[in-house]
Amino acid sequence: MGAPNDPLEGGDCGANAAPYVLGALSEAECEAFRRHMDSCAICREEVASLQVVAATLPAAAPQLSAPRELKQRVMSSVHAEAALIAASERARASSPRVHGGLGWRGSPRTLGWRHAGAALAAVVVIALAAIGLTRGATGGPVRVVRAQVLAPRASASVRLQDGGAQLSIAGLPQPTRGRIYEVWLKGAGAAQPTDALFTVSSSGAATVAVPGITHATRELMVTSEPLGGSRTPTSAPVIIARVS
Amino acid sequence: MESAVIQKLVGAVTMAVMFRHRRQSGEPDPAGRLRMLADEELMHLVYRSDAGAFEVIYDRHADAAFSLARRMCAQHALAEDVVQEAFLSLWRSRARYERERGSVRTWVLGIVHNRAIDALRRRTVRDRGIAREEGIEERLVAPERTDVEYARREEAGEIREALAQLPPEQSHVIELAYFGGMTHTQIAAMLDTPVGTVKGRMRLGLAKMRMVLGDPAEVL
Repeated sequence: MGAPNDPLEGGDCGANAAPYVLGALSEAECEAFRRHMDSCAICREEVASLQVVAATLPAAAPQLSAPRELKQRVMSSVHAEAALIAASERARASSPRVHGGLGWRGSPRTLGWRHAGAALAAVVVIALAAIGLTRGATGGPVRVVRAQVLAPRASASVRLQDGGAQLSIAGLPQPTRGRIYEVWLKGAGAAQPTDALFTVSSSGAATVAVPGITHATRELMVTSEPLGGSRTPTSAPVIIARVS
Repeated sequence: MESAVIQKLVGAVTMAVMFRHRRQSGEPDPAGRLRMLADEELMHLVYRSDAGAFEVIYDRHADAAFSLARRMCAQHALAEDVVQEAFLSLWRSRARYERERGSVRTWVLGIVHNRAIDALRRRTVRDRGIAREEGIEERLVAPERTDVEYARREEAGEIREALAQLPPEQSHVIELAYFGGMTHTQIAAMLDTPVGTVKGRMRLGLAKMRMVLGDPAEVL
C-alpha cells in the first residue's frame, strides 16, 4: 500500500483513480497520486481498469473534420524542423571539411557546424514561437519598439532587454504553403539571417526570441521564406522594426 | 521488456529493407507506401525525423484530435491551437512513444486531452461562459471513407450509448471532468456535492461503462 505519511493512504486509497484517468485532479494532486501509485498495487490496478474506459471517451465527441489550414500550419513547422535536423546530421557527417572553414554560408551545398548549431537553436525558437512561451525577465531596463507591419490589422512589437530581444506578433496571416517566417537583422550592411524561424497560431499570434541583436543593429525585419529559411531575403519584409 | 526491444528492432529492420528495396527498384517514394504502414511502423520513421511519416500520422488522427479539442474547448480557434500545440509537441517528443503503453491514437488523444485541459484551466470563468455560447455553429461530419472509419463510427455509437445509459448524475460528472476539464473539487463546488460523492460517481460511472462495453480494447 502507500508509503508512510502518504496523504492518499487510508480510506481514500483508490478513490482518486477515477478522477485521475478523467484528468480531474489538480496538477499537485496528480503528482501526489503518481507517487502514491509507485507503492500501491491496488491503485495501479484500479487505474489500469478504468483507463481503458476513459480512453474510449474521445469517440463520444461529435466527429468533425480538422480544418485544412491547421494541417498546413502543423506541417510547415514539422518540415522546417525536419530540414534543420537533417542539415545538422549532414553537418555532423561531414565534420572534417567543415572545420576546414567552409561554413554553410560559404557554400550553397555544404552545411557546416554553424548551421548545425543554428539548426538546434532554430528548433528551440520554433518551439517557443509555436507554443507562445516567453523568456523570463532578467532585470535590466526594458525598451519596447512598435514595428511597422504590412498586413492589415496585424501588429508587432519588439521588447529589448539586456542584449536580448523578443518579437511579439498579433493578427499576422499564416505563411503560404511551403513557406515560413524568418527574422533578419540589419546594421550598416545587408540584412543578416537569424536562427529565428516561426509560424503563427490560428489567431496570427507568435512570440519569438530573437538572438544576435547588438548595438550596431538598426532594424529587425521579418520576411516569408521557403521552409528551412534563406541566407538572403527572397521576399519583401512584412514586418520592420527600428531598434536603434 | 525484451520482447518490446525485439519488436522495435524488427520494425526498424523492416523499414530499412523496405526503403532499400524501393531505392534499388527505382520506385518513387510515394506517400501511398507510407499510408500502407501501421501507426507503430510509422513511428519508427517519425523517430528518425521523417516528416512524411508524421504527416500520415497527422492525417489519420487529426479529425479525432480536433473533434475532442472542439468538444472540450467549444471555441474553434482555441481548439485549433490546442491541436496544433499537441501535434507539434508529439513531433518533438516522438522518442517518448512506447508501444507497450498503448496505441498511437490513444497517445495522440491523451496529449490533446491534456493540452485542452491546460487551455481550459488557464481561462477565466467568464471566458468559459462565452465559449459555451459560441460553441455550436459549425459541425462538419467527417466523411466515412474506409472500413476502419466505419468500425470507429460503430464503436463511437456504442460508447455514446454506454454513456447515455448511465444515471444522469454519473454521466454528468464524467462529462464535466473529461470534456469540461474541471477538477473534482470544482465539480463538487459547482454541484454543491461532497468531493467524495463526486469521486464515487465518477468511479461508478466508469465501472458501469466498462461492464456495458465489455472489455474495451484500445481506441481503434
